[in-house]
Amino acid sequence: MSLAKQLNILDYALQGLWRRRLKTGGIVIIFSAVIFLAASFQFTIKALNNLVDQDLQATPEIIIQKMSAGRQESIPLDYIKKLKGIWGIRRVVPRIWGYYFDATTKANYTVIGLNYKKMPMGGLLDKALIKGSLLPGSGEALVGTGVKEALRLPAKGAMLSLFRPDYSLKALKVSGEFMPSTDILTTDTILMNLADSRDLFGIKPGLVTDLCVYVANPREVTTIARKIAARLPDTRVVPKSQIKETYREVFGWRGGFASICLLTAIAAFIIFAWDKASGMNPDEKREVAILKVIGWQTADILGLRFYEGFIVSFMSFLLGCSLAYAHVSFMGAGLFRPILTGWSVIHPEMVLRPGLEFSDIFLIFSLVVPPYMAATIVPAWRSAIIPPDAAVN
Amino acid sequence: MRPARLFFYIVGMLLVVDLLMYAWNVHDKRMAVEGRRAAETVTAALGLTDLCIATEARYTRHPVLADGVVPFMDYPGEIEHFPTGSFWAPPVKAGRLRPSRQL
Repeated sequence: MSLAKQLNILDYALQGLWRRRLKTGGIVIIFSAVIFLAASFQFTIKALNNLVDQDLQATPEIIIQKMSAGRQESIPLDYIKKLKGIWGIRRVVPRIWGYYFDATTKANYTVIGLNYKKMPMGGLLDKALIKGSLLPGSGEALVGTGVKEALRLPAKGAMLSLFRPDYSLKALKVSGEFMPSTDILTTDTILMNLADSRDLFGIKPGLVTDLCVYVANPREVTTIARKIAARLPDTRVVPKSQIKETYREVFGWRGGFASICLLTAIAAFIIFAWDKASGMNPDEKREVAILKVIGWQTADILGLRFYEGFIVSFMSFLLGCSLAYAHVSFMGAGLFRPILTGWSVIHPEMVLRPGLEFSDIFLIFSLVVPPYMAATIVPAWRSAIIPPDAAVN
Repeated sequence: MRPARLFFYIVGMLLVVDLLMYAWNVHDKRMAVEGRRAAETVTAALGLTDLCIATEARYTRHPVLADGVVPFMDYPGEIEHFPTGSFWAPPVKAGRLRPSRQL
């Protein structure tokens, strides 16, 4: 089989597809849309996992939370003393954090109270704020851009009025705002000092929400976590490694759930393609007959049908993947935003950057192109073996 | 122009567009150094563990610090109703409910 012959068959296949451009165009558009959805999900999950890898590197090595009756409750500061003597612990920082539901805007805010000076990179926190912002002192708070937008806070001299559990008001002066580039981490965050957060949530002195543990040698995290769990049996010990594992699981589940839905769409499309390809109209039968009369072999007609199937599925694959990449990279996967955020009132500005990996592209390719080719190959063979005289007559 | 050549041109053009999008993404990522540093700083300084994607429920805001069964544990027989919670993965194994036990 010479290259020139194959190019001629390809030319003929393309001309045939152009003659049936309405039908071909329809198939390419529908197929591209299905591939676009499947690829968009794949790229979104990949980009979200990249965000976890990129932005959650500096998270505490271990977090300790107290559990009671299957629920998390405040942990006594005395527990820090119980950790004394565990070799390898560099520091333990107590933290109060929780959720504040704003009935007016229906938004949930994450309130964090801690002495950030004791945290790693705490001295650099001002570098993550917009110009003119100050780190919060007593009676002050830093807010994320989502909180500022939800509460329509003015640029300067803003005050926050939050309700304590007894419905008395706690007023805080807004000292600044986190940079929009940290939105994916801080958009719903209100940061204040430990005493203010204790006052806001009505948490008794000597209690905090959790303890952040930093260890000297990252290789010893699991060993130290085991020792902590043995010393504090009523606690939940969350090591850093579990963060990535949890996200892989959550995103994997979401991606898998969506993939199952989309596989159904792909299967439906392939059945449609089979149906279309197997029902040959008289013109197509006559075309095969004429080709055979003028000397085309069965293998040539099979090649012709193969090229037609490949052109349709490959062009759909290329178009679908390109649109999906643009959708995720430049539109932040806007179509999936409602699925990812649900009833959330505060939506972070997400900058998704899906890395292009061969495995992802190959996965999408193998999900769509070979099944389409397989679905059209039998009808193609049936059309190729038509006796020319039968078709002409 | 023969159709095959036109077809190869179109495929080539699409591949060039893809390459340009990818190159722009890589370039943009390199330029966003300041933003990445700011994100690293807040993660370290506040001890953050989760991305702020869904803020509707506490277990979807902080999945790392939530139990696997938390969507259903507010009261006996509770039916989970948050949209993002419907994508919540069931616990893989019973031990995951108490991570401190499996360390």
